[in-house]
Amino acid sequence: MSDDLKNILNNSNKDIDNQKLMDYLSQQLSNQESHELEKMMAEDEFINDAVEGLEQFSNKKNMVVSVEHLNSELQKQIAKKKSRKEKRRLKDQPGIYFTIILLLLLIIISYVLVKKYNANQQPLPKPAQTALLTMAHE
Amino acid sequence: MKPGKYNHIDDNELLQRFYADHDNEWLGILLQRYTMLLLGVCMKYLKNEEDAKDSVQQVFLKAIHELHKYKVDYFKSWIYMVAKNHCLMKLRDKGKYTAEINEHLMATPDETTDKNNYIEKDRALTDMAQALTQLNKEQQLCVTLFYLEKKSYQEIVAQTSFSLLQVKSHIQNGKRNLKILLEKRP
Repeated sequence: MSDDLKNILNNSNKDIDNQKLMDYLSQQLSNQESHELEKMMAEDEFINDAVEGLEQFSNKKNMVVSVEHLNSELQKQIAKKKSRKEKRRLKDQPGIYFTIILLLLLIIISYVLVKKYNANQQPLPKPAQTALLTMAHE
Repeated sequence: MKPGKYNHIDDNELLQRFYADHDNEWLGILLQRYTMLLLGVCMKYLKNEEDAKDSVQQVFLKAIHELHKYKVDYFKSWIYMVAKNHCLMKLRDKGKYTAEINEHLMATPDETTDKNNYIEKDRALTDMAQALTQLNKEQQLCVTLFYLEKKSYQEIVAQTSFSLLQVKSHIQNGKRNLKILLEKRP
């Protein structure tokens, strides 16, 4: 009894279970369980407002569908924000672009140099051609 | 609706993780825990299912865009206030801001933010028992049935001649009066 007296002004911070809330709304809880939830309502205005609002839903199934829809929209929103953040992070790092450009330049320069080197190399004359040329000179 | 994987992490821990790495996924898990309650709160004030759904989405967006700007210690109270203020602003824009809502707004911080335990010693306990006798008959009856005899609202309705609304009101007012009576004591 003394504990019960103490509890009148206690504000507990228990988390409410959604399933329990649904069961309460569809009056499927025992008196004792209902009392537990109502005690949370009396202690916490958030829960009290929420239950009073949820009781106004004409169709409890629609309510669950709405919750699921809101959760999936929330996930989409978060994924969108995350990908935007990552893109921005790339933009914010000019070093990456600088490195890519530098690498491309290096590849182009190497290609040009190799080309030039190959062009400067004289092809060696074939032995038969050399013999003919010598005879013509004589 | 707590996503199973993170059930073991409490709100405060999720909030700290969000502040540490600004990863909105932590915030998403936190918000999902309150979707149903937020929908209920918005429905209570707006009394329209579609408006309530839209408002919950707005509250989510506000949390995603603004939570990192503030140092919130108690997420549950914060998100409740965001939702409630959003609904009241919406009602004000529609010109439906009534005196009743004003009373609600004024009563809020008193009930939700004060987490002190008022009774710590035997003396306080005696005070509580005495204070209980000072309540009016209706409040005394409802508070006793609810807190001491652990009856549900429906049982109290059945046992007394009060309506459900009256029962709730007697319990809330009785609780508030008890608090006032105890605070007045030296």
